[in-house]
Amino acid sequence: MNPHDERPPFGGSWGRIYAGLAVYLIALIALFTWFTRSWNR
Amino acid sequence: MRPLDWGVLAASLAGIVFYGLWRSRGSRTTSQYLLAGRTMPWYAMALSIMATQASAITFISTTGQSYADGMRFVQMYLGLPLAMILISAFAVPRFHASGVYTAYEYLEKRFDAKTRALAGAIFLLSRGLAVGVSLSAPAVVLTVILGWSSVWTTLIMGILVAAYTVSGGIAAVTWTEFLQMMVMTAGIIAALFTVVFLLPDGVGLPEALAVAGAAGKLNATVWRFDFNDQYNVWSGLIGGMFLALAYFGCDQSQVQRYLTGRSVAQSRLGLLFNGVAKIPMQFFILFTGAMVFVFYVYTQPPLVFHPEAMRALEQQAVYGQLSQEYGRAFQARRDAAVRLDLDGFRRAQAEVDEVRSRALALAGKATGQGRVNDTNYVFLWFVVHQIPAGVVGLILAAIFSAAMSTISAEINSLATVSMVDIYRRFIRRDAEDRHYLAASRWLTVFWGAYAIATALYAQNLGSLVEAVNRLGSLFYGTLLGVFVLAFFFPRTGGTAAFFGMILGEAVVFAVWHFTGLAFLWLNAVGCLVVVISGNAIAWARRGAQVRA
Repeated sequence: MNPHDERPPFGGSWGRIYAGLAVYLIALIALFTWFTRSWNR
Repeated sequence: MRPLDWGVLAASLAGIVFYGLWRSRGSRTTSQYLLAGRTMPWYAMALSIMATQASAITFISTTGQSYADGMRFVQMYLGLPLAMILISAFAVPRFHASGVYTAYEYLEKRFDAKTRALAGAIFLLSRGLAVGVSLSAPAVVLTVILGWSSVWTTLIMGILVAAYTVSGGIAAVTWTEFLQMMVMTAGIIAALFTVVFLLPDGVGLPEALAVAGAAGKLNATVWRFDFNDQYNVWSGLIGGMFLALAYFGCDQSQVQRYLTGRSVAQSRLGLLFNGVAKIPMQFFILFTGAMVFVFYVYTQPPLVFHPEAMRALEQQAVYGQLSQEYGRAFQARRDAAVRLDLDGFRRAQAEVDEVRSRALALAGKATGQGRVNDTNYVFLWFVVHQIPAGVVGLILAAIFSAAMSTISAEINSLATVSMVDIYRRFIRRDAEDRHYLAASRWLTVFWGAYAIATALYAQNLGSLVEAVNRLGSLFYGTLLGVFVLAFFFPRTGGTAAFFGMILGEAVVFAVWHFTGLAFLWLNAVGCLVVVISGNAIAWARRGAQVRA
């Protein structure tokens, strides 16, 4: 197998892992926004 | 410092250095010395990447920044996960497939020698300016707070770092950073738990959050768009992404970390782990700063945290009056916080801020500095004066680790670019590997000595230190632009890329000099100018060739 096509050890494909990280970022921004609106008054 | 703290600090530093040297024994080829034989596992690269990025002054300043300005600094990192995705998808496979030692070596394979040389020179100039500051800045702060000689602090850190970097090369740097990152994490957790534990009886986390929030310290997101403000969601996502793309994709001090990976997958995992862990880590460092603020709502802090500025202030005629005003404002703020009267708290906070502002201006006049900024001293003051024995040693070990990890990566990458992109390419092309290994070690010695010498000199430069540090980031956008051309514009040649870089650098300096654009955006400006002008020059050259 070409080492540059190597599959990730989890998640099935690199595309899914990248999508997971993007969703994680959106969740973090949402969490920070909730945190700010809840306490920073 | 108590004996227990000295013991913890000395044991941590010695353990880290010996572990790094032990893991890196037997580097007998240039590839092993500069790229660890491309055998590194993802977890070592991941922590090494994070440790390189976290410098001591970041560690000290970030908590102080949160104390003074709130947590909005965390937004600067919002673009980082997106950058990790793009670098993993596009840069890592290309760098691995080309078998290069440096990012700039790739530019010769793609363009030509002059583009490689220019990119390498830009890196050497910008990192060369920064390395002395990386070493001197924490030494200056530790000197002021702990009373240690800055010369000795600089020499001890510099010689320790140079010793293991020269001896073990990149493997020693990576494995020491692996442990240094663990010590930093332990230091952050210890500091956060300690400050929450030290809050007075009756002040739990909900009360602490209410007080910090009322003072505007918990502003983790700001959605208002403003080109001149780097700390909002938009500049963090877009400007921060360009900054992270440039830093992780084009700066050899980071690229070299993931070139050591045993496969593309391992390098990608190392980078993506950084995308997951970096933002929460910054959040908790900033949250620690906010909790230090809450602690000082109930325990009176000094009027000015900078000890030398405070001593100068005490000599002034109006000091007694200022001190009394500050005491009254502090008392009113504490009483309002105890009652959870948040409106009254905000009014008292404004009064505390106003008195402190006058004190800082007066201290600045007295010391001849214009205006004193004491945010870098807040966290260390808290550590030294409030934290119990043992934990102080651990937190100082974390700060030393942060400093050493950044410096070792900088020395190692400067030596690598000097050897691979300058010496082996332009000075001595056909020597044996043994010769290049020796040259790599001697260049590491040179850059280590250079870092120590410039750090000792930089301590006398005052505010210029910050200016030089900022100047370094003026070059990132241009470097990013030339790599975008290399990866995505196959019809653009070396001459177009070379002149695109020169034009990009000129525009970045002009924008920086003539406008108030926030720094994060300069990376995007530099990148866009290089890409547009590089393509325009390539198009014009093709047109001229067709006509000829």
